[in-house]
Amino acid sequence: MTENKTLTLTINGETHAVQMTGVRTLLSVLRDDLGLVGAREGCGIGMCGACTVLVDGRAISSCLMFAQQAEGSQITTIEGLPEGDHLHPIQQAYLDHAAFQCSYCTPGFILSTVALLQEHPDANADAAREYLAGNLCRCGSYGNILQAVLASKTVKS
Amino acid sequence: MSTQFHQPETIPEALELLTQHGSDAKVIAGGTAVVLMIQQKLIAPPVLVSLAHIPELERIQTVGGEIRLGALARIRDVAQSSLIRDRLPMLAQACGEVGNIRVRNQATIGGNMAEADYASDPPAALLALDASVTVAGPDGTRSVPLSEFFLGFYTTALDEAEIITEIVIPTPPDGARMTYHKFKSRSSEDRPCVGVAALAVMDGETCSELRIAIGAASEVPVRLPTAEAMARGRVLDDSLIGEIADHAATKIDPLDDLRGSAWYRTQMIRVHVQRALLELRNEFSTL
Repeated sequence: MTENKTLTLTINGETHAVQMTGVRTLLSVLRDDLGLVGAREGCGIGMCGACTVLVDGRAISSCLMFAQQAEGSQITTIEGLPEGDHLHPIQQAYLDHAAFQCSYCTPGFILSTVALLQEHPDANADAAREYLAGNLCRCGSYGNILQAVLASKTVKS
Repeated sequence: MSTQFHQPETIPEALELLTQHGSDAKVIAGGTAVVLMIQQKLIAPPVLVSLAHIPELERIQTVGGEIRLGALARIRDVAQSSLIRDRLPMLAQACGEVGNIRVRNQATIGGNMAEADYASDPPAALLALDASVTVAGPDGTRSVPLSEFFLGFYTTALDEAEIITEIVIPTPPDGARMTYHKFKSRSSEDRPCVGVAALAVMDGETCSELRIAIGAASEVPVRLPTAEAMARGRVLDDSLIGEIADHAATKIDPLDDLRGSAWYRTQMIRVHVQRALLELRNEFSTL
């Protein structure tokens, strides 16, 4: 049985209607249907954090959630962070601290940092390490990432 | 294949869908397990019944002398709940050790029970806490003690048309000390190689009650009644703790897998039972 259904997703404050059959991951719908390619597939099993998005403010792996599960929720992707031409302060902090090399993991790290600082505005280095432990950077830019996170605390809007 | 995705808003509606679709239907809660299994083509259910829109299933509360976790309470919410941290600290510890923060944000305590993955932290803690699972089905609700709920690898006492609605935990004895030790053999975010959940009630230096549950070392988490009995009414000194740990290690027929050989697991059970009991004896002041 193939049933074409319209799914309504609220992403970065905008409503999107997506035609789909069956179930597909949120990651696949974001990338393949909506062109929001900031969320990336790394491991595909929820371990690496490259596909991190925020659903109602909580960081989740979009490779482990069906798009249907996110209907009715507020979804935030990296594309939703800048205001016009201005990068989000956390994005700017990552740039300022060269907190990446290849940058494949960066959108996920930045969104996890947004969630961290929303929950714990005064997070110290230990709290940041623990919170971000599930985001992997295979270039090994962790030192600079941590500096960017700690610098973001002071500039966060 | 085109999977139908249903989002009922009440328990009776969910049960009706499960009865209607029989073995075609699979329940999905947070989705971290079910989505992964579908993506990896391990399962291909024609119908998914999501419980996420049944708000009453998310509550964490005390009712009478019991602490009740709604099946849809997220693992992270259990770990961070002030009620759980205060009354059942080992459960907060065990939930705080699951996967990574994204998994804890999405996975639910009921889903964790229903998946029955042996390499998981919450089941051992809940087993040591004498928890039971409340199950709703076409013929009404029933309560299944956790000790009878896990039947084997990914297998539970749940029938096809049943869903877990709550995990019910009796209030622990006054002054109970408890701890959960997760031993990981590979990376910091790994599943447990061995999990030890222990609870003790101390009367001065004498132990009046001890409970030990071992998770992740065998197909299902297990309690160790003979090891528990060794402590009852005795002074919990170093030599008794050593004897209990030695005995515990002989009572599990451990698995061989990528996280550890059977031999290694036996050693780690002994070591971590010993450490858990030393912690219970040494590091707790009167609550």
